[in-house]
Amino acid sequence: MTFSSSYLFSLTTFIYLGAAALYLTHWIFRVQKVGLLATVVTVGGLVIQTVGLGLRWIESYQLGYGHAPLSNLYESMVFFSWITVLVYLIIEWQVKRRVIGAFATPFASLAMAYASFSPNVEDEIQPLIPALKSNWLIAHVVTCFLGYASFAVACGLGIMYLFKNRFSGASEGIIGVMPDCKVLDELMHQTIIFGFLWLTLGIITGAVWANDAWGTYWSWDPKETWSLITWFVYATALHARFVRGWAGRRIAYLSIVGFVAVMFTYFGVNFLLSGLHSYGSQ
Amino acid sequence: MKTSSSTYQDTSIWRFFASVRLAVFLLITLAITSIVGTVIPQGESLQFYLETFGPNFFRIIKLLHLYDTYHSWWYLILLGLFSTNLVVCTLKRLPFTLKLYRRDNLSVDSGRLLKMPFKKEWEIKEELDNDSTQSIISAFKEVVGKFRERSDVDGGKLFLAERGKWSYWGVYGLHGSILIIFFGALVGLFLGFKGSVMLPEGEKIDQIVNRQSGEHIPLGFSVRCDRFYISFYDNGAPQEYRSDLTVLNDDKEVFHKSIVVNDPMEYRGVTFYQASYRAIPEVTVQVAKSATLHRSLTISAFQRALWPEEQLSFGLMQYQPNVHGKPAAQIWVGDQEGREGSFWLLKGNKKEFKKGENLYKISLTNAKQRYLTGLQVKKDPGVWIVWLGCTVLIVGFAIVFWVPHRRMWLWMGRRKGKITVILSGQTNKNKLQFEKDIKKIEKALDSSLGARQ
Ligand code: HEM
Repeated sequence: MTFSSSYLFSLTTFIYLGAAALYLTHWIFRVQKVGLLATVVTVGGLVIQTVGLGLRWIESYQLGYGHAPLSNLYESMVFFSWITVLVYLIIEWQVKRRVIGAFATPFASLAMAYASFSPNVEDEIQPLIPALKSNWLIAHVVTCFLGYASFAVACGLGIMYLFKNRFSGASEGIIGVMPDCKVLDELMHQTIIFGFLWLTLGIITGAVWANDAWGTYWSWDPKETWSLITWFVYATALHARFVRGWAGRRIAYLSIVGFVAVMFTYFGVNFLLSGLHSYGSQ
Repeated sequence: MKTSSSTYQDTSIWRFFASVRLAVFLLITLAITSIVGTVIPQGESLQFYLETFGPNFFRIIKLLHLYDTYHSWWYLILLGLFSTNLVVCTLKRLPFTLKLYRRDNLSVDSGRLLKMPFKKEWEIKEELDNDSTQSIISAFKEVVGKFRERSDVDGGKLFLAERGKWSYWGVYGLHGSILIIFFGALVGLFLGFKGSVMLPEGEKIDQIVNRQSGEHIPLGFSVRCDRFYISFYDNGAPQEYRSDLTVLNDDKEVFHKSIVVNDPMEYRGVTFYQASYRAIPEVTVQVAKSATLHRSLTISAFQRALWPEEQLSFGLMQYQPNVHGKPAAQIWVGDQEGREGSFWLLKGNKKEFKKGENLYKISLTNAKQRYLTGLQVKKDPGVWIVWLGCTVLIVGFAIVFWVPHRRMWLWMGRRKGKITVILSGQTNKNKLQFEKDIKKIEKALDSSLGARQ
């Protein structure tokens, strides 16, 4: 097989699936060495995927199109996977708890697997249609996906919180090794804050771009509206801690609902509704 | 904690509108109701909704304005409640914030300092001489930079380093920015317009049709489309749409600009965007009555071409760019008496037709696509207010979450009969960095005071 970006991305898919399996093994069987191996494998996958993204950028120039690898559904899913792993590794490095990996890396693995194997996703390098030829493309995609990746991790933390909260008596076993509810709640809050800032920047860069391209910064197109719905959900999550009876479990639920809204913004709108962002229909 | 003697602050309505509980309720309600307009197509004709959804559902759609959900009466009420919530909440919290902001952190006693989240106390056997005092102060200054001091506080000397007190205003910027964005949107809605126009190459316009109201808006100048270009990639996907535009003022050319998608032209607050295009076939025919009497006519689709002296009119019914390698056109001919007919012409071939007594020869001499460029035209004086709001939103957000209010105190004096040095402090964000900094001071003081304890 030739040494190309698609080969490296296929390799990345299997590495991330392996990494997710290792993190799950580390969590369920509590073997320290497996946890270390999971981190090493994930970092290795990230390096290979980064090289793949660089290669794909170069390949698009060789084809005479010359654009960053952020222009269609396949490329955006690869980028989502890349940035989710990056955000997760930063959190692991800061917090030093590998259990979270069992709830974060599956998002990246599934995104890569879907991008690689789904017949709905066209993986060829395509030229940019006129509407996408803008300096705002990179800013818009990178900010949105930093938000989406943070929300994927926050969703994983929300699921952990609900597990931990449900079996709060357990000091042993697979629940016992999770961080305390208080720690999970604080981590989830910090991750949502980080994601909310990027989502806000993503919506604003999208508005500036739309104003450049069509003369309206907001046209209530389904994709725009769903990003706003997502924004409302996370704004709710940020305020819920100031309302008596809402802190804790309800914020964990909001974190999961928010990520469902992210997924719908990303896939549902493309496949179920019609609009200006015709990404997924190709 | 009561800060105001006025009574309006105590009413239950005021408390209701100031509550974060209402904010959470409104945010969830907005999230759920906004889904409606992404599922039901927006901005179609009423007929469309009747046929698509049936009479019962149609009645609901009409009542709740679901054909234009985001400008419907109930959505605007929700946004109005949301704004009211923000304003009232802000007004209610303002006195507390002002009090915090104005609080003099130098008027504390040593007992308060020992209740802070971080505190450390050294009790010393003999009086501090001048050199020791200076070394303690410089150890403090080394880490904190600028500080204020006050002598004679609780029988001692107090030093205070305070940072980021202004960050209390970040949350006001953040919430105010939402109102700024709403205001900018309203300015655009009432003082701006949006329209679109299909402009054929070589022609000009001096007015625009408003997309919402349908009324004609004079521009006060004209815009001419000199040429439209379209280019394609090898795989057939469009690569670029470009219009060469000229602005004219009283028929004097002011300037030229080529616009492409994502690179519009602006003149006197009105912006022109490349939005779409249409290609219209245009053929040229040579019509001859005799060797000396002939005429060349250009016929565009959807338009009549006339030969008035002969009382003939021509139309283009169909156009095929490639029939056996040549363009072909179906031409319609009519005369005064209402007689009409049509025939196909292939480029290079001649045809004859009769009208009354007369026999004419006709041939197709030229055929080409004529382009119309589709321009979006808009004026929005509110857009800069919206961008201002967006900037304030981001800056406010960063201040709320990443600018800490930090206070560090150093007190030297006599407490309970003993010579005492107290280091204490508090921060509302980023405790890790704060502790790292204050531990550095603690270590320096330990090394200079430790021997004297
Ligand atoms: C979508 C619009 C809104 C956004 C984006 C927003 C954003 C925020 C953020 C990011 C915080 C800081 C949260 C924290 O410190 O953890 C906050 C705090 C707060 N918000 Fe909002 N907010 C919005 C609407 C509202 C509304 C309508 C109210 C009306 C009651 C409100 C009341 C408050 C209050 C009372 C706080 C607490 C501030 C503090 O304790 O520092 N917010 N808001």
